[in-house]
Amino acid sequence: MTHKPLQHNQCKAIDDLRNLLHRSQGMVLDEDLTKQLDHLCRSLESEIKRSNYPEGGFSHDPEIGWKLKNFSKQKNRERRQNDNIMDVIEAGLCLLDKNLKIIWANKTISDWLDLKDSPLGRNCKDIFHCKEAEIDNCQALKVFKGGESHVLETWITTKAKKRLCVQRFAIPVTNKKGTIENVLVHIEDVTESDKSLHWLFLLQKLGEKMQGTLHLDTLLHLVLTCVTTGHAFGFNRAMLFLINKEENVIRGKLAVGPSTREEATRIWGEISNKYHSLEEILDALEYNSNFDNSYSLMTQQMKYTLTETDEIIVTCAREKKAIIVADAAHDPRLTEEFRNAIGVNKFVCVPLIVRNESIGVIVADNVYTEVPITEDLVNVLTMFANQAALAIENAETCKRLEDKVTQLTTTQQRLIRAEKFAAIGSIVSYIAHEIRNPLVTIGGFTRSLSRFHFEDAKIKTNLDIILDEVVRLENILNNIANFSKPSIPKKATCQVCEIVKNICSLMENYFKERNINFSMEFEPSIPPILAVSSQITQVLFNTLMNAVESMPDGGDLSIRIKLIDKTIKIDIMDTGAGMKKEELQNIFEPFYTTKLEGSGVGLVISRKIIEEHGGKVSVKSKCGRGTTLSLFLPIQ
Amino acid sequence: MPTILIVEDNKNQRLLYQEELQREGYTTVMAFDGKDALEKVREEPPDLIILDINMPRMDGIETMGKILSQNKQIPIIINTAYSSYQNSFMTWAADAYVVKSSDLSELKNKIKKILTDRPKDF
Repeated sequence: MTHKPLQHNQCKAIDDLRNLLHRSQGMVLDEDLTKQLDHLCRSLESEIKRSNYPEGGFSHDPEIGWKLKNFSKQKNRERRQNDNIMDVIEAGLCLLDKNLKIIWANKTISDWLDLKDSPLGRNCKDIFHCKEAEIDNCQALKVFKGGESHVLETWITTKAKKRLCVQRFAIPVTNKKGTIENVLVHIEDVTESDKSLHWLFLLQKLGEKMQGTLHLDTLLHLVLTCVTTGHAFGFNRAMLFLINKEENVIRGKLAVGPSTREEATRIWGEISNKYHSLEEILDALEYNSNFDNSYSLMTQQMKYTLTETDEIIVTCAREKKAIIVADAAHDPRLTEEFRNAIGVNKFVCVPLIVRNESIGVIVADNVYTEVPITEDLVNVLTMFANQAALAIENAETCKRLEDKVTQLTTTQQRLIRAEKFAAIGSIVSYIAHEIRNPLVTIGGFTRSLSRFHFEDAKIKTNLDIILDEVVRLENILNNIANFSKPSIPKKATCQVCEIVKNICSLMENYFKERNINFSMEFEPSIPPILAVSSQITQVLFNTLMNAVESMPDGGDLSIRIKLIDKTIKIDIMDTGAGMKKEELQNIFEPFYTTKLEGSGVGLVISRKIIEEHGGKVSVKSKCGRGTTLSLFLPIQ
Repeated sequence: MPTILIVEDNKNQRLLYQEELQREGYTTVMAFDGKDALEKVREEPPDLIILDINMPRMDGIETMGKILSQNKQIPIIINTAYSSYQNSFMTWAADAYVVKSSDLSELKNKIKKILTDRPKDF
C-alpha cells in the first residue's frame, strides 16, 4: 500500500542518475563505463522492484545515498585515471560519432596534429586535413558501414616541430547488440620503422644495381655514386681504396666528388635539374664518368703499405670496423700526410669486407655541407659496404677470368698464325724457288747480251734496266727465303732521296692507274748514309705497295723525308682504310695479313731490314682516315 | 781445257751455263737429270761437275752420293735455288755450294778456284 510513493522516489533518483549520465556524455572517455553505469542503474531499479523496502524515499535511505556518493567518486577517479592513461599513451586516439564528429580525443592527437583548439565537436576531416580522394574513400565511413579500414600513411609536423611518419586506421566500436555506434581512429608513429624500411629498400635497390655490373671500373664508380648521391647516402665526397695482396698495399682507386665548393654548387645544381631519382642517376652513370678532377687524381696517388700500422686506412682495413673521425686535427689515429690529403675535420672510413677479409676501404665526408655524420648512417653505410665488397669481388673475379680467356684466345690465335706461318711459309718458299730459276735465266742471258756492243745506246740502257730489276727481284727472293736468318748486308754509301725518287719514277704509272695523287717532299740537307740500297728499295717498295693497296678507290700518297737529330725520318702517308688497334698490334707479326693476296711478310722483312740499318719503324693509323708509316734511319 | 759437266733439268738454264762457261773457255757436257749425269760420268769423267738439287727422277743429293761412290776425285759444285740445303749435312760432301743467281760470277769464281787448287795429276 505504501509502495507507490516509494517507487516514485526511487525512480526519480534513477532518473537523476540518468540525467547526470546523459550530461556527462561526450566528456566520458569510456563508453563501457557509461554502459556500466547504465547497467548499474537498471539493476538498482530491478532490485528495488524486487525487494520490499520499508516506506520512505530512495533518497532518504542513508545507505543508498552513501552508495551513490561513492559510486560517483569512483566514477570520477576512474575517468581521471583513464584520461591520464589515454594522454600518455604513444598513440593518437579519437572517437567519432555517426556524423564523423569528434566526441572524444586524447591529448597526443592534439600534440601530433598541432591543434590549437579542442577537437571536440569538429569534423574529423578538418583536423586530419583529408584530401578529396581520402574524403571520397573515408575510412571511418567505411567502418561505420561494416567495412574494413586500411592503413593510411602520412607525414605530419608535430607541435614540437618534429616530422613524423604516421599510420592511421579506424576501429569500429559496437554496443551490446553488435551495432556500430562509434568509430575509434587510431594514429601510430611509424617514423623509425619507416626509416629502416627506407634503408632496406635502398640497400636492396643498390645491391641489385651492383650485382648487375661486372665491369670493375663501372662498378667502383657506381659504388661511390651511391655513397655520394643525395638520393642514397648523400655524402659530399667519397674515395675508394682497394687492397693489392701481391704488392701488399692499399691503393686509392677512384674518388667521386667535387674538388671545390664552387664545383660542388654547380654540379649538384645540374644533377638535381637533370635527374629526379636514384635510378636515373645510376642509369646515366656510364655517360658522365669524369674522373679527371684533382680530387680523384689525388686519390689515385694515395698508396699505403699494409704494414703501416699508424695509417687510418690500414687500421680500418685491418680491424674491419668503421671509424668515424670527428676531429681530424687532433685525432692521433691520423698521420700528418693523410690529414693534409683529405683536408677535412670530420670523415668516416668504412671497410669493404668479403668472407671476413678486407678488400678495401671507403672514405666519405661532408666537406662542403658540414652535415654531421651520424652513427645510424654509418651503420647503414657499413651494410652497403658489405654488399659493395661482394660485388667488387665478383667483378674482380670476372676480370681475372676475362684476362685468362683473353690470354687463351691470344695463344690460340698465335697457334693458328703459327700454322698459317708454316703453310704460307712453305708456299712462299716454293714460289720463291720456282721464280728464282727463270730469273736466273733471264738475268743471266741479259747479262751476256749486255756484253755485246749495240749501235743503239737505248738497247744497252734497257738491258741494264732489266738486269737491275732482275737483281732486285732476286734480292727479294733471298730475303724471303732467308727470312729466318737474314744475310749480312753489304752496305754502301747511298742517298735515300735518290732511292725514293728512283722507285717512285718506276711506280709512277702504277699510281696513275689507281687514281693515286702522289707527292714527295724532301728536306734539302739530307746526307747520304751507309745502307744496302737494294734492301732500302725493297722496304720502300713494300710500304708503298701497302699504302696503294689500302686505297682501292684512289687517294693521296705522300712521302716526306726529314732530318731529325742525326736520324733520317721517312714518312709514307696514305689516306686509305687505316687500321684498327688490334690490326695495328699485329702488323709486325710474321704472315699476318688482312689482304686476300699477300704473304704477310712484307712489313716484317721491312722492319728487319730497317733494324739491321740501326733504325726503327713506327706506324700510326686511324681507322677510315689512313696510315702513316715512319722509317727512321740513323746517319751513322 | 777442263771439261765441266753441267747437271740441270731446266733447258734454258742449261743453255745459259753452257754459253757462259764456254765463253770462259771450258769444254761443257750437259746432263738433264741425275741418271743422265751418272751415265755421262761413266762414259768420260769430267774435271768438275755442277749439280742442281731439285731434279726429276733422281735428285742432286742422291746423284752426288752415287758419283762420289764411283769416283771421289771429281770436284762437285752444288748449284741450287735453295739456300736451305746449305745446312743439310748431305751437301757438305760437295766442294762448294752456290745459290743460283743471274749473276754467274760467284759460280765462275768457285770453278776457277777449285780447278786451280786441285792436284795436277790429271
